[in-house]
Amino acid sequence: MAFNEDHLPDLLPLYYKRLFPHSLFYQWLSYGDSQIFAKREISFTLFGDVYIRFQSFDRHEQFVQELHKKLPIKIDIGAVYQQRPKDRLTFKKLLPVQKEMVFDIDMTDYDDVRICCSGADVCSKCWKFMAIASKIIDATLREDFGFRNILWVFSGRRGIHCWVADHSVRFLGDDGRSSIAEYIQVLKGGMTAKKVSLPNEKIHHSIVRSLEVVDKYFVQSLVIEQDILGGDRLNKFLAIIDEDLRGTFKDILGKYKTSEERWKAFESTFTDLCQKGQIPRNLKNLKEEIKLQYCYPRLDIQVSKGMNHLLKAPFCVHPKTGKVSVPFNPRFIDNFDPAKVPTITLLDQEINEYDAKTKTLSEGVENSPMKIKDYKKTSLLKSVVIFEQFIRSIEKDLKALEEKNSEVMEII
Amino acid sequence: MDFTARKRKSIKPVEENPCSQYPHDLNMYNTPPTGEITLEEFETLAIHRLQLLRTLEQNSLKGHKIFSDEWKRCIKEELTKLELKKFVRLMNGLDGQTDLDYSARRTDHLSHYILRLAYCRSEDLRRWFINRELEWFKLRFMAQNQNTINRFLESNKLIYVPITEEEKDEILNELIMSTANMSDITIRTTNFFKVPFDEVYSLVRNRRIFVKMGYAYIPTSELIVCVQAKFRANLSEALSVANHRLPSLDDDRINTFLLNLYNSYTGKDYSTPNSEKEIDIRNLDNYSKKHFPLCMKHLHETLRASHHLKHDSRLQYGLFLKAIGVRFDDALEFWREEFTKIMDNDKFEKNYSYNVKHAYGKVGSMVNYSPFSCLKIIMGSVGAGDHHGCPFKHWDASLVKRKMMDCGVASEGIESILALVKNGHFQIACTKYFEFTHSLQAPSTTINHPNQFFEESINIATGEKKKIV
Repeated sequence: MAFNEDHLPDLLPLYYKRLFPHSLFYQWLSYGDSQIFAKREISFTLFGDVYIRFQSFDRHEQFVQELHKKLPIKIDIGAVYQQRPKDRLTFKKLLPVQKEMVFDIDMTDYDDVRICCSGADVCSKCWKFMAIASKIIDATLREDFGFRNILWVFSGRRGIHCWVADHSVRFLGDDGRSSIAEYIQVLKGGMTAKKVSLPNEKIHHSIVRSLEVVDKYFVQSLVIEQDILGGDRLNKFLAIIDEDLRGTFKDILGKYKTSEERWKAFESTFTDLCQKGQIPRNLKNLKEEIKLQYCYPRLDIQVSKGMNHLLKAPFCVHPKTGKVSVPFNPRFIDNFDPAKVPTITLLDQEINEYDAKTKTLSEGVENSPMKIKDYKKTSLLKSVVIFEQFIRSIEKDLKALEEKNSEVMEII
Repeated sequence: MDFTARKRKSIKPVEENPCSQYPHDLNMYNTPPTGEITLEEFETLAIHRLQLLRTLEQNSLKGHKIFSDEWKRCIKEELTKLELKKFVRLMNGLDGQTDLDYSARRTDHLSHYILRLAYCRSEDLRRWFINRELEWFKLRFMAQNQNTINRFLESNKLIYVPITEEEKDEILNELIMSTANMSDITIRTTNFFKVPFDEVYSLVRNRRIFVKMGYAYIPTSELIVCVQAKFRANLSEALSVANHRLPSLDDDRINTFLLNLYNSYTGKDYSTPNSEKEIDIRNLDNYSKKHFPLCMKHLHETLRASHHLKHDSRLQYGLFLKAIGVRFDDALEFWREEFTKIMDNDKFEKNYSYNVKHAYGKVGSMVNYSPFSCLKIIMGSVGAGDHHGCPFKHWDASLVKRKMMDCGVASEGIESILALVKNGHFQIACTKYFEFTHSLQAPSTTINHPNQFFEESINIATGEKKKIV
């Protein structure tokens, strides 16, 4: 059965009661200390787009009660403050103390390079952009910065979010956050045709690694599927190339019809010109620059830079699509199909079917079977497991940190 | 200088011997000065320090690339003209040990601490002061040779141990790929240091070094970045401590002086709107055409054409409008009129009206935000598809050229502007743009604020009108 927006008010009570993993959610956001949860800003969006900011909940039960009572269509997670955000009026200023570092990638930022969909739509072709983005950013965070507690979440419609929850990251100030975000941001913006510039002969190791990811997708997903050199789109491609060289490429590429042929012609012509020494030194990396311009992650960098920026929580139900914003593993993102993400309608159906089945099975049996958690009856199971793994890894690191600190204390 | 009375107990008294008190041209300013000075000397020292810091700032605003030889030369010249020879001496990098050296370092030490009292009083003042002091520190640091630097680091207990040859061999390829502006040979011979990435944000941000598992590998030549980070952290903390203790500094002889000091010297920030002349929003198109700098003109035209601007663009343009004298009600109406061409009023109210109210300090933290200066706009980050930022910095040369032609800039003007842009002199380019769009009349100084551009442009126009009358 397809999701229908009008049914949401009927489905949400069941979702929050039986499926939303609020215990894990509480476990995650308290990081082993109930005070951390109590000082965390959690905002709700209610039916009718009523937006309530600066809420905080002292205890787990209180949070669950409010969920059942208010049935938010969206939950946003903000920073942990010095004081409880709900008491904010009694303080002069609310100062943020810690928050996960977050990344937000939205498909609409790719509208100028995708032809399959636009705006809010997404299909398996343009989903490749998200696959590339999550792989590149995940590798950078892990290998370059050594972060380990990373959660990737499908936003429920057309984008992806990333949460980095390592202890050291949570306490970074805006300066530290912006330096990491800018390290990752390779595309420069503004009103320029050419958005990537690698003027030096040497390419930074993190970009070399990103290019390895890009190369796995570029020809098939960009050149062929998005047809980036096909038809008139060729002009857009040529605009990236320096004026002095543009003419040469225009003449040669124009002789070919398909996007793939044109790309091959570009590659061979470029290699040829390089060998003849006709490419100026600062353009030696033109091919790499072009590849990155077409598919390097396009970040909404402001979201990552500030400690007090809010971001939608995992396991929210998107009110327009009915899809649950589920965590995913970037290593297996090629198998992730946004079209197959469970909707609240489907989950409702699954739970009913399961219950009906077990009921008939257990009829006549003396002892009814052990009660199992409701999410395990549904296709949400896989996503909850990923969420659990994320929380286990946080706990492991917290424990190690505690041990290290107590050792230091002993020495003192 | 008694404001740290309580804290002073914990600090060892500084020995009187100038040789051990001031052994280096550089100073981390960890120890406050003790002893007595006259009020007259107090005031002179403060003003001299301020002149020094202003000189640093102005030469960057003039378009000299910061820390370039040209920048240094100009600063030396101007300081000599101002008869601030003691500061010039500290720039020479000689690290001498004569009485003249000690005296210069004492001046540097005292004047730094006096300005702390004036500049600890607000977030903006602190930021300005820290940035200038960092420049002054780096300027002197760069002039020193390796020996004196080592001596200085050692005596301040800033100890960095280079990675071993084996360690270096293992990552040599990555170092060669990722260390910016350094030849293979230099990389092979120079020492590298392994530091946590959070000590070298500026190098991380610009991808200038090899980063692995949270550690940055920096060559000797970039060690300054670590030392600067320490310097910044120390100073920033000291300033906020000083700010908390200010109330106990109850001395009218210097209080008034200190207050006037920062008031007169931070440059205009245009945070109070021009109330004399109210701007009629019906005339905005006209104003935009004649008096807006290119960055704002572009935002205005984009808004008119697409009836939408992204968040940063709204902020940059909205605060500018506030500062030229657009009243709050008018501003809200103005944004509403455009945005509701592509959305219903409900959506505007819900998603965008808060923004306008916020900019005018009506909701949220109720702060009266200052409009962006050129520096802030130039240094800001501009993403793909954004319209804010500085056209001279963030646009393709070809687009700048086209816009210039649209604005009727003569072709020789366009050429000289593009040449300036190419060399990174964005504000001078904007100043030239001003001249060519105002019948070759130059603004009073280099443009360093969009609202300055507007004000000067209006002044020329009203001046002209008066002449006609």
